[in-house]
Amino acid sequence: MTEDQIDDGIDHYETSEKISGPERAALRYSDMMANAPEKIGSTIYAELAEHYSESQIVELGAFIGFNIGYHTFFGSLDFYPMFTPDGRLVDQDESRRIYGDNPVSHLDGAVQRSAAPDEAAE
Amino acid sequence: MSEAKLDRLRAQAAEIGAVDENFIRVLSQVPGYTEALLDSLTRSHVDGAVDHKLKEIIRIMLARQAGDPYFGTLRSKPAAAAGLTEEMIEAGCGDFENDERFSSKEKWALRYAKLMYTEPKSVDAAFYDEGKSHYSEAEIMEIGTFIAFHYGMQVFTRAIGLKVAE
Repeated sequence: MTEDQIDDGIDHYETSEKISGPERAALRYSDMMANAPEKIGSTIYAELAEHYSESQIVELGAFIGFNIGYHTFFGSLDFYPMFTPDGRLVDQDESRRIYGDNPVSHLDGAVQRSAAPDEAAE
Repeated sequence: MSEAKLDRLRAQAAEIGAVDENFIRVLSQVPGYTEALLDSLTRSHVDGAVDHKLKEIIRIMLARQAGDPYFGTLRSKPAAAAGLTEEMIEAGCGDFENDERFSSKEKWALRYAKLMYTEPKSVDAAFYDEGKSHYSEAEIMEIGTFIAFHYGMQVFTRAIGLKVAE
């Protein structure tokens, strides 16, 4: 999986040709759980059931709920990944500089900022 | 997961009362999740150094925020046995800031839960500094992970429209 695919799945899942039908249904479910839970009803479950078994839908829902709960909490703790996008171990100040204050695409500067200092100087 | 293990989790859940058979039945569809999620729900609720009654109020406050009637309806039996009343639950979910029955320490924890998903930007370094005047770092992590985990599960049960067993 590439950063392009991750960005596409987050920003353009409804229209992207790179996203399959089952993936689109799962991404829509996730989007609704996070941003419009009041709109979740039988329609979305009927759509999910076209692609997934009942146990897979439960798996998706619990996974999404768990992530919704934890990401906000982690965000409040103001800590950053220990590693750069290419796997280099960095301290928290360096990580903050690389990833920025808000979670955005890694292609939006983090990959370039994570280049090791000697590489960046070249 | 073995039937014996599932029975043990069922008995543990029944003893506490904050999860019922319907949630277990749903989770049982994903055997790999059942034990981990049920055990975490229970342990984060009744174990640890932070008062269980306070956590019970927080759990119900969060369920209301999430719009989840399932977890919002269930009640902890140990919390009730320890003296937590519906009146105190309502007070904790309401205007707790101006309620003298809650200590400054309890108010901070209730504020933490109230703000986490409604005004997350206000849960910042200054907010945590205030928390450290009441709780150890380990206790703050205990409350924070409790809030995150239970809210996440409430978002899930709301999404699937789970109801309390008859």
